[in-house]
Amino acid sequence: MRAMILVLALALAACGETGPAGASAEYTLTTALAATPSETRLARLYEGSCKTCHTSRESGAPLTLDRGAWDPRWEKGVDTLLDNTISGFEAMPPGGLCFSCTADDYRNLIAFMAGREEPQ
Amino acid sequence: MVSRRTLLAGAGVLGAGAAGAIGYRAWRDREPPSPPAQNADGDLLWRNWSGIEHAYPAERLAPTSEDELASLLRTAATPIRPVGSGHSFTGLATTDGALLSLDGMSGIVSHDAATHRANVWAGTRLADLGPALSAIGQEMPNLPDINKQSLAGGVATGTHGTGRDFTALHGQITRFRIARPDGEIVECALNRNAELFNAARVGLGAFGVLTQIELQNAPLTRVLKRQWGADLEETMEAWPQLQAQHRNIEFYAVPFTGYAAIISVDPTDRPVSPRSADEDTGALMSLKMLRDTLGYVPALRRAAAQAAFADQQPTEWVDEGWKLLSNERPVRFNEMEYHLPLEAQIPALRDVIAVIERHRGDVFFPVEARTIRADEAWLSPFHGRDSGSIAVHAYYKDDYQFLFDLIEPIFRRHDGRPHWGKLHSLGARDFTALYPRWTEAAALRQEIDPEGRMLNAHLRRVFLDEPA
Repeated sequence: MRAMILVLALALAACGETGPAGASAEYTLTTALAATPSETRLARLYEGSCKTCHTSRESGAPLTLDRGAWDPRWEKGVDTLLDNTISGFEAMPPGGLCFSCTADDYRNLIAFMAGREEPQ
Repeated sequence: MVSRRTLLAGAGVLGAGAAGAIGYRAWRDREPPSPPAQNADGDLLWRNWSGIEHAYPAERLAPTSEDELASLLRTAATPIRPVGSGHSFTGLATTDGALLSLDGMSGIVSHDAATHRANVWAGTRLADLGPALSAIGQEMPNLPDINKQSLAGGVATGTHGTGRDFTALHGQITRFRIARPDGEIVECALNRNAELFNAARVGLGAFGVLTQIELQNAPLTRVLKRQWGADLEETMEAWPQLQAQHRNIEFYAVPFTGYAAIISVDPTDRPVSPRSADEDTGALMSLKMLRDTLGYVPALRRAAAQAAFADQQPTEWVDEGWKLLSNERPVRFNEMEYHLPLEAQIPALRDVIAVIERHRGDVFFPVEARTIRADEAWLSPFHGRDSGSIAVHAYYKDDYQFLFDLIEPIFRRHDGRPHWGKLHSLGARDFTALYPRWTEAAALRQEIDPEGRMLNAHLRRVFLDEPA
């Protein structure tokens, strides 16, 4: 019994790692923090909502412009990402903390953070 | 001697059992179903943070000035509901009328270095307010566990941190400006429109929309944050001493483990030692794994947890308070929190832990205990009494009905008042008994908004006892 408990305890300790799937180890927070959309309205929405989580490793969100984290998500299609943004998915809160965003705003914000200039 | 056939049959049963357990776990871990992203009219879905509230607002308003806000309030679809970050678990912001965001009214308006006061746009998110205040040498010495909320949303719901000498956020308000439902902008302070100041400091967004809030802040301070584990029973026994010893103190009681995690924050002049990578989320997921694998064997669950926690070392960080007081909480949940007379906190917590451990093996979130100083806002859950709070959480994919069926009766028995942004089942009749100034506040709300343009179904229950 004691051995079983210790094995489980070790498994629990190993379970302590967090972070978004595919996140690039070499990608730096400085790059994420420096990024901002070029369009004024989008930049304001981004600064007031997405940025708070997508520039924090602790949030579990893929960091802005981290292609290693974003590319597998981007492959799901922007419509799926839009749906997950509006409805919420796992750690992603519904609406992404931006309740003045339109569907087009969300598409453009997702594309920006994923490192794509235009939605596809 | 066990035959080969018996062994194979046994293995088959074990295999089927394991497959069943894995399948059951996968089924439990599925993402909860979501309503369609748009309705038939093309209106976009709105959901709260945990996902249990939803609506399709016909209008989404985001004014960038008081004048624009005043104009919008006169013509907006009803019910008009202000929304911050959507973090409330109750239906406070839910509306098919106008959803009103103050994201366009954010930042510091002005400040006074001598008095450490800052006048802030009400839409400012707490996460942004920390660095902005730091830049002018000020801080809010008490902050909630999560800092995604807007300032307006935080004060409107009585959002708080912990520390026996600290009030909730609204206790630091020296004056505010509010746009009434008819569009009139009114300035309020203790000596100016005092009734509205007292009623709308914790106003649930029912008296109008706060536009500017002046805060009595403190000089920017370096603090030491310590986090350590302890025996739960010993922690509860030592709770009065812990409160006296630390500026900010809270603990998490971890059900099914006999274990508590204690967090203290105190001023220090030690050199900066920044916050390291988040370990709370991993620990929480470990507790979930323990629930998933050993939920039906409580003794083994407790022993495994205690073995895992035995080697945990205390952690310490030193930095400015706004960087350490709040935390990232990427695991979503639903929550009920009540504020109890301070002397009732530990007895109620014992009841809560006992009920969870007796009836709800699926609960794995720790139960949070904090303290808050009394204030005089009419609808403050801390009105007239120092309070101890207890918060019970349920993973957002799990059933949370037990909060109403098992936990809320304990809180009610101990004379608790619910957090306005968290789950509760109370209505106007209950609040009349719980709040000494409820009748005056409700009458003022009726006078300000006689047509109920800011009342949605949730607030009609709260103020008018109408069934939702």
